[in-house]
Parts: sequence; structure tokens; C-alpha cells
Amino acid sequence: MRVLVIEDDEGIAAGLRVHLRQHGCAVDGVGSIAEAWHALTAGPFDLVLLDLGLPDGDGAEILRRIRRAPEGRFPHPATPVLIMTARDEVASRIASLDMGADDYVVKPFDPDELAARMRALRRRAAGRAEAVLRRGELTVDPAARTVLRNGQPVELSAREFDVLLALMEAAPRVLSRSQIEERLYAWQSGLESNAIEVHVHRLRRKLGDSVIRTVRGVGYFAPDGEDG
Amino acid sequence: MTRQSLWRHLLAWVLGALAVVWAGFVVVGFQTGQHEADELTDGHLASVAALLLNLRGSDLLPPSQQVASQQLSRPELKSHDYQQSLSVVIWDVQGRVLGQLGEAPVPPFSTDEGFADLVLGAERTGWRTFARWDRAEPARRVMVMLKTEERDELASDIAGQVAQPGLWLLPTIALVLGLAIRRGLRPLRELSEDVHAVDVVQHHPLGLRHPQVEFRAIVEAINLLMQRSRAALARERQLADEIAHELRTPLASIALHASALQGPLDEVDRRQSLDRLAQDAMRSGHVLSQVLALARASQTEMTEAAQPVDVAALARRVVSDFAPQALSRGHSLAYAGPAECTLRGHPVLLELALRNLVENAVSHTPAGTSIDVQLEESGRWLQVRDDGRSQAVPGHGTGAPAPRLSLGLGLGHRVVEKVAAIHGGALQKIEPVDDGLTTYRISFGREAVALDRGSDGLPDVLHEVGAGPEMRSITTRTGTAAP
Repeated sequence: MRVLVIEDDEGIAAGLRVHLRQHGCAVDGVGSIAEAWHALTAGPFDLVLLDLGLPDGDGAEILRRIRRAPEGRFPHPATPVLIMTARDEVASRIASLDMGADDYVVKPFDPDELAARMRALRRRAAGRAEAVLRRGELTVDPAARTVLRNGQPVELSAREFDVLLALMEAAPRVLSRSQIEERLYAWQSGLESNAIEVHVHRLRRKLGDSVIRTVRGVGYFAPDGEDG
Repeated sequence: MTRQSLWRHLLAWVLGALAVVWAGFVVVGFQTGQHEADELTDGHLASVAALLLNLRGSDLLPPSQQVASQQLSRPELKSHDYQQSLSVVIWDVQGRVLGQLGEAPVPPFSTDEGFADLVLGAERTGWRTFARWDRAEPARRVMVMLKTEERDELASDIAGQVAQPGLWLLPTIALVLGLAIRRGLRPLRELSEDVHAVDVVQHHPLGLRHPQVEFRAIVEAINLLMQRSRAALARERQLADEIAHELRTPLASIALHASALQGPLDEVDRRQSLDRLAQDAMRSGHVLSQVLALARASQTEMTEAAQPVDVAALARRVVSDFAPQALSRGHSLAYAGPAECTLRGHPVLLELALRNLVENAVSHTPAGTSIDVQLEESGRWLQVRDDGRSQAVPGHGTGAPAPRLSLGLGLGHRVVEKVAAIHGGALQKIEPVDDGLTTYRISFGREAVALDRGSDGLPDVLHEVGAGPEMRSITTRTGTAAP
């Protein structure tokens, strides 16, 4: 999951970066409305973590702009937005949710609760109700970051898991290599040109060739069990 | 406490006043009635006497003839309510009774003429009499008499007739007045209801339906109070938001880094998270200190009386306390001002405020910044001035400073604002013009600078905002940069 953290406090921004990376997210951080809008219009984000008190204005402005954004361009107007704020009054929460925020956490928040809420938002955005993804003989648990094949656990590296999760979440759509990269890597991450191919190769080795199919010239997809 | 009704109060006063007036009216009516009854009676007596004297003796009464009172008081002779029972006695010159009419006993003979009040008979009945001589021969003295009791009855009757309408008029007037007062007090009742329904949060100013001149002052006062309460509420809310933000932010950061440290981390991230944890813990502590200082400022204001404070000594102490920290960051820190300057105030709060400003300047300016704590000679203001902006050039100094808090946003400045307000003054940020000098000035109110400090004021140029000449005496300077 690729997350944009819009937070001007360096401590929180750094903490979120490290913590969310541990949860398999690709995290980009910005500290102002101007930077945030620049980032949002440059590429896709699966989720936005938004602080309301930004140095160049109210963070709610970002939310308004996202919701009014035209279809077919970045950012997607339905991008899930989770607000993080120190304002704990009920009126403030209501106002934020009414503005179009998908969820709301009050600082200081429990980092694991934040991650759970983010996963829930991601599920909702993908139109799923279940916390785990099932496809064919695979069961993927994004919260526990575990993979079961026919009920048996399979050891995957963090990146392998992220590639598999991206394909499972997008299934049955085909994801291009750049689309997978966008979901997996933040701006600063060093990325080798064949990194995705390497991960797919390893996944096939561990889970079987039928788990990920290649559409030549287009990308990869996770077929249903019957497709294989 | 029982609730009193203005309407009842007003009605009671009006009816009380009305009753007093009416009672006065009855008394005056009674006295007038009595007086008029006396006049009428006397006139009546004189008329009858004159009438009798115009008759010849033989026409009047045969000598020694008396008419019994029973005959005179026969009911068939009574033809009017005000018909009075007169008695007549006629004497000759020798005092012999020539004739008598009516029930009155014969009074002792005298030669007097005119009106008199006599008490006659065994029952000592009062009589009003009028006597007159007929000088024609044979001379006679005629006395016409009327019971005093009858005259008083007439007076009472007249007074009663005057007072009687009041007996039914008074309750009627009370009822009508009650309704009228109730109706007349309706605007007051409406105002009372509106005041009762006043909600400071949802601002609906009074006055739209209270155009009465008499209410203007109270409506304006209430609206002003509401305005102030709302402003105070907004300030409180803003302050609560600021405190929440300042306190929750480092706590959120601590929670995140603590959580991250429990998971797999490379060495660089682990070290950064640990550093950040320590930093944010200190930051939380600092915010807590500020919150406590704010609470303390409010409490001190209420509980401790102002006392003479040597602000110059206080400023020097703060400067010397921060000198090592300033030195370690490559700053120059100095005090500029009089050797002694006594104000009336709270030493703990003043030190707290000055520490805030100095700490802010030391912590949030680039290395090599020159920071001056300046006290005006006559103690009208105390300020912290730095040239941090002019020092903030790329490649200069060591390490980037934390962003400076803007006035009104920082909790620390809130504390300083509060302390300044307690001393009747204000905190003012003087923006740099061309010199790049940033100044935070605490100005003191008249009550704080009222003490005689035995020092002349500075030239006027020093009082101008933005003007920055050197102060007369610089007693302390520490740091690496040249002063």
C-alpha cells in the first residue's frame, strides 16, 4: 500500500514512515499543503494520512481538493483519507468526516490501531468486507502479513509479500510493472530495473507457477484457482 | 429566598398610594362636610331667628304658650331627610319666657346675641343656638336652637356621600390598574425572558425587540458582556487547542517510535527513533512546564500580591543562566539596560516570561546569532532582541534551527502574554525591518512602573518601535560573536 503522510511535525512523520514501512507500506511524507498537492497530482496513492494543522493552512483544504478532483487524473477523488489531529472535540470530528474524510484518529494514537484502520480503509476502497484475501489455494492476511497455501504457511520476504498483496488486491485486473512499483516504493527508495521480475520469480518458486500469470507486454495478475 | 414579583410590587405601591390619597380625600371631605354643615346650620338658625323677629309678638306666640316637643316631632311633619328639629325660646326684657317651641330646655336668660354652643338639661345635651334681640317695643329676645348631634349627623352624611364612591371605585381601580401595569410591564417581561434565554455560544444579540430607551443601557451592557464572554470562550478554546496540539504531537511521535522500535529496524532507523524518542520526551516535558506555568500565572494573579521587583537584576540572572547554553550553540547573549530598575510585579512570573523569550531566541535561531535582553531605563519595557534572520544564510552556523514560533501560536508566548497582561501590559512582536532584528517586547502597565526608580528616561528614539540604538549600559555579554 502506498501512503502519503501529510504531517509537518518531523517526529510524527519519521515515526509514521518507520512504523508503516514495517507494515509493508510505501510511505512518502510531505509537510505542507503545497507539497502535498504536488505529490498527489504526480502519482497514485492508496491512502492519505492527513494532519489538519499545517504551516501553510488548514489540512482540510487538501481533503476538499481531493474530493473535487476530476476523474481520470491524479489524485483519484475517492482516495481514502485518514485525518490525524490533536483536536479531540466531537464537533471537529463531525466536521472532518462531513468534509469527506474516511476516518479520524486523535493524537496520540496507537500505531497498530492506525495500521488497522488503514487496512480497513483499504479494504473498503477495494469493496471487500473480509480482512483476509482468498484466491485459489492462497489465503493472504494483510494484518498479520502471512500467506497460507492450502492451509500451510509459506515464508515470504517483505517485498515478496507486498508484490503478492498488490496483485491479490488488484485481482482480477492486470497490473503493469510500473503500477506494482508505484504501490511498493516510496520516492526515495532505490529500485533496480528488474526488481519486480525478481520478486515474481521468487513468488512463483515458493507458491507455484500458477499463482502469478504474466500477460506479455502488459504485466502480471493473480488468477482465480479455476483459471490456473 | 422567596421570589418577588415586580408587578405585585408595583401594584402594591400604586394601590397603597391610591388608598392614601383616597383616605386623605375622605378626611378632607369629612372636615369640609362638617364645616359646611356648621355653616348651613348657623345660617339656618339665623334665618329662622330673622323670620321670627319679623313677626309681631301676637303673631308669633301667645304669651306663656308652649308647644310640646311631642307636637313638634310628629312624623307627619317630617317631609325631608335634612329637615331639622329646631326649638325656639322667646324672652321679654325682664327675662321672662314669652314662648317656647320644640324640645330644647329653656336656657338661662342672658342679654347676649349671636351664636353659642350650650349644654342644657339633665342629660347635658349639646345645643347650637342663635340669639337676637328685637328692639321694637315691646322688646323681645328670640333664641333658635338645634341639637349639636343633629348637626354632626348632617356633617357625617355629607362626608359619607363624598367617600362612598371610593368603596366600589377602589377595587375597580385596583383591577384595572393591575391589568394596565401588567400590560405596561410586558417589554420588561420580554427582556427578562430574552436575557434568561441568552446563550453565549449561539450569539443572538438582544435589542431587536427591545427598542425602549430605558432598556438601552442594559441591552448594551448584556450584549457587551456576551461579546466578551464569547471572546473569552474563543480564547480558551484556542488555548485548549494549542495545548492539545503542543502536547499530543510529541506524544504521538513517542508512541510511533516506541512501536517502531519493537519491530525490525536497521541500525540507522533504530538510532534515529531512539533520538527522536528522547527529543520528544523532552519536548513533552517542556510543553507540560509551559502548561503548568500558565496555570501558575493565573493562580499567582489571584493569590499573590504584587511586590517590588528589581527587573534589572532579574534580567541579568536569566542572561547568566542561559549563557552556557547560548555559548554552546555559538550565540552571543547580553544584557543591556540600567543597573537597577524596580517595578511592581510578580518576580516568579516575570522570570518565567523572560526565560521563555530567551530560551526561544537561544533555541530557534541559527548559530552565531546575537541575542540582547534589553530593559528600558525607566522600566517601561523589557525585550529580547536577536539578529537571527540576518544570520540565517546558507552555510553559516552549525545546524539548522527549529522553526521559530509565530506570535500568538506558541504556548510559550501565551505564557508571556499572560504575564504581561497581569502586569497591565502586553507582549509585542516587532518585525525586523532592514536590520534583520527580531524583537519580542513586554511592555509594562502604569501600575507596574509606578515605583520611583531614581533614573531618568531614555531619549525618545529608544521608545520607537523598530529603532535599535545601543542601550546606555551593557553589563553582561557572553558568547563567541562580537557585541
